[in-house]
Amino acid sequence: MEPGVSIESGSAIRVAVLPVGGPIPPACLRDYAALVARYARVDLASLRPSYSEHQKSPFAHQPWDTGCLRLKFVLGGCVPSPWEDFQSSRKVLAVVGICHLPSSPNLDRVAADFVDAARSYPSALANRCFAFCPTDAQLVEKKRDDIIMFPPSDQQSLELHMLTMIQDLSASLLMEFEKWVLRAESTGTILKTPLDSQSSLGSEEVIKAKKRRLGRAQKIIGDYCLLAGSPADANAHYATAIELARLTGDVFWHAGALEGSVCALVVDRMGESDPVLEDEVKFRYYTIIQLYRRATLQDNAQRVSPVSFELEAALKLARYLCRRQCAKEVSDLLMGAADGAKALIDASDRLILYIEIARLFGTLGYKRKAAFFSRQVAQLYLQQDNAYAAMSAMQVLTMTTTAYHVQSRRTSKRDHSLPKSVVSLFESQWSTIQMVVLREILMSSIRAADPLSSWSAAARLLRSFYPLITPAGQSGLASSLANSADRLPSGTRCADPCLPFIRLHSFPLHPSQREIVKRNPHKKDWWTGVGPSGPFIYTPFTKGGTSGSSKQEVNWIVGEPVQVMVELANPCSFDLVVESIYLSVHSGNFDAFPVSVNLPPNTSKLVLLSGIPTEVGQVSIPGCIVHCFGVITEHLFKEVDCLLLGASQGLVLSDPFRCCGSSKLKSVNFPCIAVVPPLPLLVANVVGGDGSILLYEGEIRDVLITLTNAGTVPVEEANVALSGKNQDSVISIAHSTWKSALPIKPGGEVTFAVTLRAWHLSLTDLEADGSRSPANSRRIAKEGSNPFLDIHYAGPSINSESNIVSLPPGRRLVVPLNICVVQGMRLVRARLLSMELPARFTDAHLRPASSKDHISNDSDVMHNDISLLKIDPYKGSWDLRLLELELFNPTDVVFDVDVSVHLDGTCVEQNFLSEDKAAGSACHKTRIDRDYSARVLIPLEHFKLPVLDTSFFVKENGSDELLGSRAATLAEKNAKAELNAAINSLISKIKVKWHSGRNSSGELNIKDAIQAALQASVMDILLPDPLTFSFRLTKDGNAVKTDSSKEAGDDSGRSADESVLRCKDPISANEMTHMEVQIRNNTKETIQMNLSISCKDVAGENCFDENSATVLWAGVLSDIYLEVPPLQEVAHPFSIYFLVPGDYSLQAASVIIDATDVLRARAKAESPDEPILCRGCPFHIHVVGTA
Amino acid sequence: MASTACFVIVSKNGIPIYEAEVGSTPKKEDLAYQHQFILHAALDVVQDLAWTTNTIFMLLHDSRNEDGIKSFFQEVHELYIKIFLNPLYLPGSRITSSHFDTKVRALARKHL
Repeated sequence: MEPGVSIESGSAIRVAVLPVGGPIPPACLRDYAALVARYARVDLASLRPSYSEHQKSPFAHQPWDTGCLRLKFVLGGCVPSPWEDFQSSRKVLAVVGICHLPSSPNLDRVAADFVDAARSYPSALANRCFAFCPTDAQLVEKKRDDIIMFPPSDQQSLELHMLTMIQDLSASLLMEFEKWVLRAESTGTILKTPLDSQSSLGSEEVIKAKKRRLGRAQKIIGDYCLLAGSPADANAHYATAIELARLTGDVFWHAGALEGSVCALVVDRMGESDPVLEDEVKFRYYTIIQLYRRATLQDNAQRVSPVSFELEAALKLARYLCRRQCAKEVSDLLMGAADGAKALIDASDRLILYIEIARLFGTLGYKRKAAFFSRQVAQLYLQQDNAYAAMSAMQVLTMTTTAYHVQSRRTSKRDHSLPKSVVSLFESQWSTIQMVVLREILMSSIRAADPLSSWSAAARLLRSFYPLITPAGQSGLASSLANSADRLPSGTRCADPCLPFIRLHSFPLHPSQREIVKRNPHKKDWWTGVGPSGPFIYTPFTKGGTSGSSKQEVNWIVGEPVQVMVELANPCSFDLVVESIYLSVHSGNFDAFPVSVNLPPNTSKLVLLSGIPTEVGQVSIPGCIVHCFGVITEHLFKEVDCLLLGASQGLVLSDPFRCCGSSKLKSVNFPCIAVVPPLPLLVANVVGGDGSILLYEGEIRDVLITLTNAGTVPVEEANVALSGKNQDSVISIAHSTWKSALPIKPGGEVTFAVTLRAWHLSLTDLEADGSRSPANSRRIAKEGSNPFLDIHYAGPSINSESNIVSLPPGRRLVVPLNICVVQGMRLVRARLLSMELPARFTDAHLRPASSKDHISNDSDVMHNDISLLKIDPYKGSWDLRLLELELFNPTDVVFDVDVSVHLDGTCVEQNFLSEDKAAGSACHKTRIDRDYSARVLIPLEHFKLPVLDTSFFVKENGSDELLGSRAATLAEKNAKAELNAAINSLISKIKVKWHSGRNSSGELNIKDAIQAALQASVMDILLPDPLTFSFRLTKDGNAVKTDSSKEAGDDSGRSADESVLRCKDPISANEMTHMEVQIRNNTKETIQMNLSISCKDVAGENCFDENSATVLWAGVLSDIYLEVPPLQEVAHPFSIYFLVPGDYSLQAASVIIDATDVLRARAKAESPDEPILCRGCPFHIHVVGTA
Repeated sequence: MASTACFVIVSKNGIPIYEAEVGSTPKKEDLAYQHQFILHAALDVVQDLAWTTNTIFMLLHDSRNEDGIKSFFQEVHELYIKIFLNPLYLPGSRITSSHFDTKVRALARKHL
């Protein structure tokens, strides 16, 4: 069988093209052969010049105007076929030698070579030897007839030259045909085919052969007519031949002649598509096939079978009909031919048959059928044991890959950009056969020693079908990949990716990239309305806008490194070593940094790939470049995305990431990335470390923040603002400092201070922080509770050539002020103490804060160090009230505490008693060690209001009764406000400051606690008693010296009236002491009362008793009726004579007659009949004896 | 009686969504994929001849039992429709139901 046969091939003159002389470089040979082969069709008209009619031409109907000769050039020649007598087109009728003269200098040698070569084609009727590129020396040699030189010239003239030569050759062939036909007609020839058995030439057969000879001769003459381009003549001869063959029962030749006649018919009507002609051809060919089949059956016993002619005929018809409309007929013919393959003895015949079938199916558009037969061809090739066959097999198999959807990306690159439906992007799931095909390609390419192809096949096999391959098979593939790579030069690229699977995981934006803010040229605050504002990450309004454009935009900056997170998966059972992986950038403005990764079996890994944009423009990153198994491949993200999509729809075998235990991830769109010109880049540093700033509750501290310009462009403008939570904890920002540093040059830096005050921990914080270990205290620094410094800054605007100022985007730097508030000093509780405990007081503790008597009081302290009074808290309203603040230090540092009471613009330092320390030490600061508590006592004596007013009680007791009256309500409101103001001022006067370590200081927030503590008895503290009593010494009835610490006109001094008073100068015994008791009415109404004065000695015995022997007295001391006008004082004089030295105390008490509601309320009387008793402070008298 | 039969359901896109080797011949790895190759190649012609349908049922067989094949196809079609009615089944995806597989094999034993 011969490849490429068609109905018309009967009319082609076979010309062998043989390279002769010295070795010809392959490129030259190809060029020369192509030059020769250009002229496969030579018009008869053009032969005229070289044709000379020696005798009457046997081709009477030769169409000189329209006809042509067809030449079929066979490069390298061919083996003479045993059937060439049967079909003249099989004969090599001419030999053309091709000689490359530079490599064969000796022309004689060339000529001899050519003669030798031509000798193996005895059927050749004409020979020509073409010599190309002659050297000058060869050109000047004498012209030879046997070698036709083609002097070097341009292509066009070379072609013209060649055309002439081919025409010459054709003309001489034509003349030879004429000669041959004439001779054949006259003498006749003996024509034999392998069918005609040579050995057993019985007499019967001799007669038979004689009969048949004429018909056969007619058929051959017809063949030659056809070759000579005269179909009409051929037809006539064939008709005769058919007649004769039918008569003689020469079935085989009958078929041959019939085939020739169809060829003549088709050639004659070339170019016409006539249904009638087609039917005729079809009809005749079916007959031919029948005849051949009969011949085959007839000659079944023969050693050679003409079955190949039957198949060839089928193929010829199929090729003739090969159109979509006749698909069924063609495929029937071809399938019939394929069935006939079994009858073919010769393997190469079978090969040709399958090739032809595959080609025809391919032409028909039946890709899968073509692939099927191509694979058969490949298998036949693989049966031959040589590298060339293996190479052919590989190439044939490679052609089938498209049909089986396992094609290499290199071959499918063409339709890469074509939009495909989602499904067709996946491997069509004929996985078994896909694997078989790939394995065969791998096998054949290994045999053909093509390492790149085998690498590619193994890569495809492993990548697409790893779930179907056993671990051993996977390792085998891995080793064949490695083996192939060993044979490849390093740095080889392959279009087909192997492992690992790579998908885009995320875009971990560098904070500096995220914070690029488009500048609004119309606003001074160019950042507003662009960047995220407010504490909410999600706002329903911006959402609608962004969802419209599915691709977010990312800006990268020239020269600033960026990162892309990808996920690699190795679903196979061997260790995968990725020698390097980096982002593949087609836009060419990005430097990618390679990393190497090791992937253990069945694992996936997140890898951060980085790079630096180098030029302004768009960046497109379709995938990664991977250097793995010794070959560089490009892995596209899109492919893996499609694969994953297919896996989720159950269309592909498996999800490589899921089987590696990686979580499901929605596919990430690669955003639109634009590279922008360099921008300034500020880097913020909190001086003292970037860790959280540890502050105790209420602490105030300055934090220094350093801004450094790490970019290459100066910062021209900037703005610092606050955002986030707890903004009030930032007291001040030193704006002037950084403003003066503008513009910040590249590399420049500025440091400015931010004053912080730690906020107070809420209850939930405290609860969460319940276990008081230091490690836990960290937890207080919760996410999101910190304020941020929002720094917007921008570089200079660019003046482009056309005077248009373009604003490069600005940037935002967010400096989180990581404030970690830990609990500092804690106020455990505040409570009001009525003095029950013996307490030591010196005057210093109690002295009024007036500076003018400060010095005198100081001197008093020296000689008046009598303290430790026992005070009965149950005896009326004179007792001392103390506010006790219990402080606890839960931290692990020492705190110094400082309590101060601000009174009327002056500060009274209050020392306090610490349980743990030696009491009474007059230090101003007190240290509280860790895990210790301390109590601060604050006497609440300085807060009395001057007047006891009705209005204060309106609220207290009258809320029910007075609800009705409008006027009262108004008064009530005023009073309430006044009261509240009084309370607040009281509370705000008390301050607890603390220090810890070198630079921690703050203030304890105790307002609420104090308020709670004072809630019950705030009235008692604030309101004065209705009556205040004081004693004075008088000399001769005149008040000479003020004995009490009270000073008239000094408000602050008045408040001291209530405390224990002592006589400054000791009173001598046995001497009349004139005294007077002063009663002051603190109310706005006149008070009538019965006053009585009592005196007690240290034992508590009443000395004004009738039978007392210690004191004598003069004047009225009991039941004195007095009436004190409002806010006035009344004095009642009396005299005492002490008989016994010692300590005495005087006390005045009065029963108020007709007490008003106010007084009753103040005294907290329970029933209206209850007498209201008012008592003064005990007045201490030290009586010294007269020695 | 040893017979060879290979049954596939091919979706519109030429992707097999169900494959079963239903012959009673002892299995040979080599043959199994040979059958698939044949069926795959046959798709060209079948798709040319068939009307536009979503799915194509193909049976590679060597028995001459036309009636059996006809009823086999009918009953498999009913089974397929049941699969198709499943709201969770995505048309065009692989049929993974083991119930379907068992039923088809039983039908093959019965009819072929």
